[in-house]
Amino acid sequence: MFVNSSMVKKVITIDKSASLFDAQEKMAANNIRHLPVVDSHRKLAGIITDRDIRSAMPYKLLKEPENARDRADELQALTVEDIMTKDPITISPMDTIQDALLMIQQNKVGAFPVVDQEGNLKGILSVRDLLRAFINVLGIREPGTLMGILVQEKIGQMKKIVDAITEENVSIGSILVARHWEDDKRAVFVYLLTNNVMRVKKKFREAGFTLLNPMEWYLDQLPQHD
Amino acid sequence: MNKTGYLYDIRYMLHDAGPYHPEMAERLSAIHKGIKDGGLLEKVTVIPASRADLKWIKTVHKEAYIRRFEEVCLSGNSHFDDHDNGICTETYETAFLAVGGILDTIDRIMEGELNNAFCAVRPPGHHAEADRAMGFCYFNNVAVAARYLQQRWQIKKVAIIDFDVHHGNGTQHIFETDPSVFYYSIHQHPSFAYPGTGRDFETGKSEGTGFTKNSLVLPGQGDGEYQMLIQADMIPAIKKFDPQFLLISTGFDAHGEDEMSDTRVTTACFSWIMETIMGLAKQHTQGRIVSVLEGGYFIPRLPELARNHLSILLNG
Repeated sequence: MFVNSSMVKKVITIDKSASLFDAQEKMAANNIRHLPVVDSHRKLAGIITDRDIRSAMPYKLLKEPENARDRADELQALTVEDIMTKDPITISPMDTIQDALLMIQQNKVGAFPVVDQEGNLKGILSVRDLLRAFINVLGIREPGTLMGILVQEKIGQMKKIVDAITEENVSIGSILVARHWEDDKRAVFVYLLTNNVMRVKKKFREAGFTLLNPMEWYLDQLPQHD
Repeated sequence: MNKTGYLYDIRYMLHDAGPYHPEMAERLSAIHKGIKDGGLLEKVTVIPASRADLKWIKTVHKEAYIRRFEEVCLSGNSHFDDHDNGICTETYETAFLAVGGILDTIDRIMEGELNNAFCAVRPPGHHAEADRAMGFCYFNNVAVAARYLQQRWQIKKVAIIDFDVHHGNGTQHIFETDPSVFYYSIHQHPSFAYPGTGRDFETGKSEGTGFTKNSLVLPGQGDGEYQMLIQADMIPAIKKFDPQFLLISTGFDAHGEDEMSDTRVTTACFSWIMETIMGLAKQHTQGRIVSVLEGGYFIPRLPELARNHLSILLNG
């Protein structure tokens, strides 16, 4: 779960002396929104996003067409270095995916350049890459069935669940533990890599667990947005 | 009354998925009992199993996969690919008999002997991919049937309707780039049920875009949602496609008492679904339907579900 294994290693970069139009074309051609800016030694100098470029294209260009020629010349003269974010927030290849998730949420950015201790650009990690990693963690690319189990918050419950699954020879894709509305309970979601759920369900009931109605949990427990 | 076929053979019970496996031979005994006790055997043409020619299976499955399946069965292994797929030495031959029986049934319809048919076969097929066994399925029975209709009988447009509670991933993937086969499936939402595919946004690929349609049912939902989705999604899609032949992946596991799912469809609603499909067949395919058994695991309800199903094919 390290950044190193989820980042894109073949990074498309741009030189800091390149024009804005070059940067824009490069993004469009590669269907990306972030370009790390590097110097001649491939050290990270900054980052430029499609949003930076759009902000640099002033609406005055359209509003005052009589000055459009001058403005266009000005824009032509602008380089990536003029509008890039200098000293962008970076992440290390040895930081974890969990670090990245929290940092992305905190800093409200779409991607981090990944740099080593010497400041060399090693890769880029975007929200897209994090989503891929999260899909991987959930195991939902493999065929399976989700089951929700209500458990008491006490030691040994998870063992009972895993034992029941093991006895049925079923592989586990993922296990998520979530808050429940009763303080002393937890909702455990196991993603089982099987179609054969009847016997596992029976085992859970025999072990004294209540199977959650997934709809109740979904409707009542998802964080509400204002 | 229609000329209806009923493909049934005790050899379909030779496939044994292992102890406590829900896809068990007793499913067929229950289905047959329901049909027999309902007095339907005298009114239908009972079709025995026959072995499929390998060349038809190869229209869907990779040769290396077929060989691998044969080897794993004959070597005495207890399962094939996933642990779910319990097998015995007879599984390979039984799978050939399932496909062969369905192809024979198609011939009888195309030659005018029958109007429609219900094929009570094991093992089921709709999860089987071109090169992978999944979810108790080895050969994709309906997929081979569709290719057979096109290549042997020059049927251009085939629609497959799949109302098993699980998404038929194999069938969808086999035809997802093919605009000549429309795949419609109604199933429990893939975030809760096996195999985790069949989402709303899966609508086919490249030339086949628009020729796959999935309707999703959430846990706890039942007749109302099924009827609403079938009216809103299935009927317009099939009408627009205007197929010349209908293949049905029939699963009874959306039933409220079936523990394999969390949906709550009643016996009456299963009849409604089949009557609705019959209506479409009358309008588009000259009544030509081949219904092929997939899932359905709650043995006590299977007799009435199968009896109603066949009775609708016969009288609808």
